[in-house]
Amino acid sequence: GGERLCAPQVSVLYFARSAELAGLRSETLRVPRRLTALQLWDEIVRAHPRLAVIQDQVVFAVQQEYVALGDQLLVLQPGDEVAIIPPISGG
Amino acid sequence: MDESEDVPKDFIKLKSEKLSVAEVSELVSSPCCGAVSLFIGTTRNNFEGKKVIHLEYEAYTSMAENEIKKICRDVRQKWPSVKHIAVHHRLGVVPITEASVIIAVSSPHRAESLEAVTYCINTLKACVPIWKKEMYEDEYSWKENKECFWANSVK
Repeated sequence: GGERLCAPQVSVLYFARSAELAGLRSETLRVPRRLTALQLWDEIVRAHPRLAVIQDQVVFAVQQEYVALGDQLLVLQPGDEVAIIPPISGG
Repeated sequence: MDESEDVPKDFIKLKSEKLSVAEVSELVSSPCCGAVSLFIGTTRNNFEGKKVIHLEYEAYTSMAENEIKKICRDVRQKWPSVKHIAVHHRLGVVPITEASVIIAVSSPHRAESLEAVTYCINTLKACVPIWKKEMYEDEYSWKENKECFWANSVK
Protein backbone atom coordinates (compact mmCIF):
# COMPACT_ATOMS: atom_id res chain seq x y z
CA GLY A 1 0.00 0.00 0.00
CA GLY A 2 0.99 3.63 0.50
CA GLU A 3 3.44 2.84 3.30
CA ARG A 4 5.51 0.51 1.12
CA LEU A 5 5.71 3.00 -1.78
CA CYS A 6 7.12 5.54 0.63
CA ALA A 7 9.62 3.16 2.28
CA PRO A 8 12.73 5.32 2.71
CA GLN A 9 16.35 4.28 2.39
CA VAL A 10 18.09 4.99 5.68
CA SER A 11 21.75 4.86 6.64
CA VAL A 12 22.51 2.27 9.32
CA LEU A 13 25.75 2.65 11.28
CA TYR A 14 27.27 -0.12 13.39
CA PHE A 15 29.73 0.44 16.24
CA ALA A 16 31.92 -1.65 18.56
CA ARG A 17 30.52 -5.13 19.20
CA SER A 18 27.57 -4.58 16.85
CA ALA A 19 30.00 -3.85 13.97
CA GLU A 20 31.83 -7.10 14.73
CA LEU A 21 28.60 -9.11 14.79
CA ALA A 22 27.14 -7.50 11.66
CA GLY A 23 30.48 -7.69 9.85
CA LEU A 24 30.25 -4.13 8.60
CA ARG A 25 30.31 -0.51 9.74
CA SER A 26 27.56 0.98 7.60
CA GLU A 27 24.98 0.26 4.94
CA THR A 28 21.76 1.61 3.49
CA LEU A 29 18.54 -0.24 4.26
CA ARG A 30 15.03 0.28 2.92
CA VAL A 31 12.60 0.20 5.82
CA PRO A 32 8.93 1.11 6.39
CA ARG A 33 8.43 4.84 6.88
CA ARG A 34 6.54 4.43 10.17
CA LEU A 35 7.48 1.70 12.59
CA THR A 36 8.33 1.20 16.25
CA ALA A 37 11.95 1.10 17.37
CA LEU A 38 11.57 -2.59 18.13
CA GLN A 39 10.21 -3.25 14.64
CA LEU A 40 13.20 -1.42 13.17
CA TRP A 41 15.48 -3.64 15.26
CA ASP A 42 13.68 -6.72 13.90
CA GLU A 43 14.33 -5.47 10.32
CA ILE A 44 18.02 -5.08 11.08
CA VAL A 45 18.30 -8.49 12.78
CA ARG A 46 16.57 -10.03 9.77
CA ALA A 47 19.49 -8.71 7.69
CA HIS A 48 22.14 -9.64 10.30
CA PRO A 49 20.91 -12.49 12.54
CA ARG A 50 24.09 -12.51 14.66
CA LEU A 51 23.01 -9.19 16.17
CA ALA A 52 20.23 -10.93 18.10
CA VAL A 53 22.60 -11.76 20.98
CA ILE A 54 23.02 -8.08 21.92
CA GLN A 55 19.36 -7.08 21.78
CA ASP A 56 19.22 -6.57 25.57
CA GLN A 57 22.22 -4.27 25.61
CA VAL A 58 21.79 -1.83 22.75
CA VAL A 59 19.84 1.32 22.02
CA PHE A 60 19.43 3.20 18.75
CA ALA A 61 20.49 6.69 17.88
CA VAL A 62 18.04 8.01 15.26
CA GLN A 63 19.22 11.32 13.79
CA GLN A 64 21.60 11.40 16.75
CA GLU A 65 18.93 11.12 19.46
CA TYR A 66 18.94 8.03 21.66
CA VAL A 67 15.89 5.75 21.29
CA ALA A 68 15.34 2.58 23.32
CA LEU A 69 14.34 -0.63 21.53
CA GLY A 70 10.68 -0.38 22.41
CA ASP A 71 7.30 0.96 21.37
CA GLN A 72 8.35 4.48 20.42
CA LEU A 73 7.01 5.24 16.94
CA LEU A 74 9.61 6.38 14.44
CA VAL A 75 8.77 8.34 11.29
CA LEU A 76 11.78 8.00 8.99
CA GLN A 77 12.82 10.21 6.08
CA PRO A 78 15.09 9.17 3.19
CA GLY A 79 18.71 9.54 4.26
CA ASP A 80 17.98 9.46 8.01
CA GLU A 81 20.84 8.09 10.09
CA VAL A 82 20.19 5.15 12.42
CA ALA A 83 23.06 3.94 14.61
CA ILE A 84 23.30 0.78 16.73
CA ILE A 85 24.71 1.87 20.10
CA PRO A 86 26.17 -0.83 22.37
CA PRO A 87 26.93 0.15 26.00
CA ILE A 88 29.37 3.04 25.88
CA SER A 89 32.81 3.27 27.46
CA GLY A 90 34.28 6.69 26.76
CA GLY A 91 36.39 8.70 29.14
CA MET B 1 43.99 42.01 24.71
CA ASP B 2 40.72 42.94 23.01
CA GLU B 3 38.12 41.98 25.65
CA SER B 4 35.53 41.08 23.04
CA GLU B 5 37.76 38.16 21.98
CA ASP B 6 37.53 36.60 25.45
CA VAL B 7 33.98 35.30 24.99
CA PRO B 8 33.27 31.91 26.59
CA LYS B 9 34.34 29.10 24.26
CA ASP B 10 34.00 25.33 24.07
CA PHE B 11 36.98 23.47 22.63
CA ILE B 12 35.95 19.96 21.61
CA LYS B 13 38.30 17.61 19.80
CA LEU B 14 38.36 13.88 19.03
CA LYS B 15 41.74 12.92 17.58
CA SER B 16 44.10 9.99 17.15
CA GLU B 17 47.27 11.87 18.06
CA LYS B 18 48.69 12.00 21.60
CA LEU B 19 46.83 14.45 23.84
CA SER B 20 48.64 17.38 25.44
CA VAL B 21 47.86 18.65 28.93
CA ALA B 22 49.77 21.87 28.22
CA GLU B 23 47.78 22.52 25.07
CA VAL B 24 44.40 21.87 26.71
CA SER B 25 45.24 24.03 29.75
CA GLU B 26 46.35 26.85 27.51
CA LEU B 27 43.09 26.71 25.52
CA VAL B 28 40.99 27.55 28.57
CA SER B 29 43.28 30.13 30.15
CA SER B 30 41.77 33.60 30.48
CA PRO B 31 42.82 36.84 32.14
CA CYS B 32 39.54 36.98 34.10
CA CYS B 33 39.96 33.49 35.54
CA GLY B 34 41.80 32.62 38.71
CA ALA B 35 41.20 28.90 38.35
CA VAL B 36 41.79 26.22 35.74
CA SER B 37 40.67 22.72 36.77
CA LEU B 38 41.75 19.62 34.88
CA PHE B 39 40.81 15.97 34.64
CA ILE B 40 43.11 13.52 32.86
CA GLY B 41 41.88 9.96 32.17
CA THR B 42 44.77 7.55 31.63
CA THR B 43 44.96 3.89 30.73
CA ARG B 44 45.68 1.35 33.46
CA ASN B 45 47.88 -1.68 32.81
CA ASN B 46 45.64 -4.25 34.47
CA PHE B 47 42.01 -5.35 34.79
CA GLU B 48 40.87 -8.22 37.07
CA GLY B 49 44.33 -9.72 37.12
CA LYS B 50 44.76 -9.57 33.34
CA LYS B 51 47.56 -7.55 31.80
CA VAL B 52 46.26 -4.79 29.54
CA ILE B 53 48.43 -4.35 26.46
CA HIS B 54 46.73 -1.20 25.20
CA LEU B 55 43.29 0.37 24.70
CA GLU B 56 41.52 1.12 21.44
CA TYR B 57 38.79 3.75 21.21
CA GLU B 58 36.20 4.29 18.51
CA ALA B 59 33.46 6.88 18.32
CA TYR B 60 30.27 7.88 16.54
CA THR B 61 32.16 11.07 15.92
CA SER B 62 29.49 13.53 14.84
CA MET B 63 27.10 12.48 17.61
CA ALA B 64 29.89 12.37 20.20
CA GLU B 65 30.81 15.98 19.38
CA ASN B 66 27.15 16.98 19.65
CA GLU B 67 26.71 15.21 22.99
CA ILE B 68 29.82 16.94 24.34
CA LYS B 69 28.41 20.28 23.12
CA LYS B 70 25.23 19.50 25.12
CA ILE B 71 27.37 18.79 28.19
CA CYS B 72 29.10 22.16 27.76
CA ARG B 73 25.72 23.87 27.46
CA ASP B 74 24.55 22.17 30.66
CA VAL B 75 27.75 23.22 32.46
CA ARG B 76 27.14 26.86 31.53
CA GLN B 77 23.56 26.67 32.83
CA LYS B 78 24.61 25.11 36.13
CA TRP B 79 27.77 27.21 36.65
CA PRO B 80 27.26 30.52 34.79
CA SER B 81 30.63 31.89 35.82
CA VAL B 82 32.51 29.15 33.90
CA LYS B 83 34.54 30.75 31.15
CA HIS B 84 36.10 28.20 28.78
CA ILE B 85 35.66 24.44 28.53
CA ALA B 86 37.96 22.04 26.68
CA VAL B 87 37.27 18.35 26.11
CA HIS B 88 39.86 16.38 24.14
CA HIS B 89 39.33 12.64 23.66
CA ARG B 90 41.75 10.32 21.93
CA LEU B 91 40.63 7.77 19.36
CA GLY B 92 42.38 4.66 18.04
CA VAL B 93 45.18 2.95 19.96
CA VAL B 94 46.16 4.49 23.32
CA PRO B 95 49.25 2.96 24.98
CA ILE B 96 49.36 2.29 28.74
CA THR B 97 49.80 5.40 30.93
CA GLU B 98 48.96 7.79 28.09
CA ALA B 99 45.90 10.03 28.36
CA SER B 100 42.59 8.97 26.79
CA VAL B 101 40.74 12.11 27.76
CA ILE B 102 41.61 15.58 29.07
CA ILE B 103 38.96 17.98 30.36
CA ALA B 104 39.80 21.55 31.40
CA VAL B 105 37.51 24.28 32.71
CA SER B 106 38.35 27.85 33.68
CA SER B 107 36.39 30.11 36.03
CA PRO B 108 37.08 33.21 38.14
CA HIS B 109 37.07 31.19 41.37
CA ARG B 110 37.95 27.53 41.91
CA ALA B 111 34.68 26.01 43.17
CA GLU B 112 32.87 26.28 39.84
CA SER B 113 35.64 24.88 37.64
CA LEU B 114 36.28 21.98 40.04
CA GLU B 115 32.58 21.04 40.09
CA ALA B 116 32.20 21.55 36.34
CA VAL B 117 35.11 19.23 35.51
CA THR B 118 33.58 16.51 37.70
CA TYR B 119 30.22 16.95 36.00
CA CYS B 120 31.83 16.81 32.54
CA ILE B 121 33.65 13.51 33.01
CA ASN B 122 30.73 11.85 34.79
CA THR B 123 28.25 12.91 32.11
CA LEU B 124 30.65 12.02 29.29
CA LYS B 125 30.86 8.50 30.65
CA ALA B 126 27.05 8.26 30.77
CA CYS B 127 26.09 9.83 27.44
CA VAL B 128 28.81 10.22 24.80
CA PRO B 129 28.94 7.50 22.10
CA ILE B 130 32.58 6.45 22.44
CA TRP B 131 33.67 2.81 22.96
CA LYS B 132 36.80 1.36 24.50
CA LYS B 133 38.27 -2.04 23.68
CA GLU B 134 40.78 -3.41 26.20
CA MET B 135 43.44 -5.60 24.57
CA TYR B 136 44.87 -8.35 26.81
CA GLU B 137 47.55 -10.87 25.92
CA ASP B 138 45.22 -13.53 24.52
CA GLU B 139 41.87 -11.80 24.12
CA TYR B 140 40.07 -8.47 24.19
CA SER B 141 36.99 -7.01 25.83
CA TRP B 142 34.58 -4.21 24.94
CA LYS B 143 34.23 -2.21 28.15
CA GLU B 144 30.94 -0.87 29.49
CA ASN B 145 30.78 2.19 31.75
CA LYS B 146 28.64 1.65 34.84
CA GLU B 147 27.39 5.17 34.15
CA CYS B 148 25.93 4.14 30.77
CA PHE B 149 22.35 5.13 31.27
CA TRP B 150 20.79 2.20 29.40
CA ALA B 151 23.19 -0.68 30.08
CA ASN B 152 21.96 -1.00 33.63
CA SER B 153 18.28 -0.36 33.00
CA VAL B 154 17.69 -2.86 30.21
CA LYS B 155 19.27 -5.83 31.97
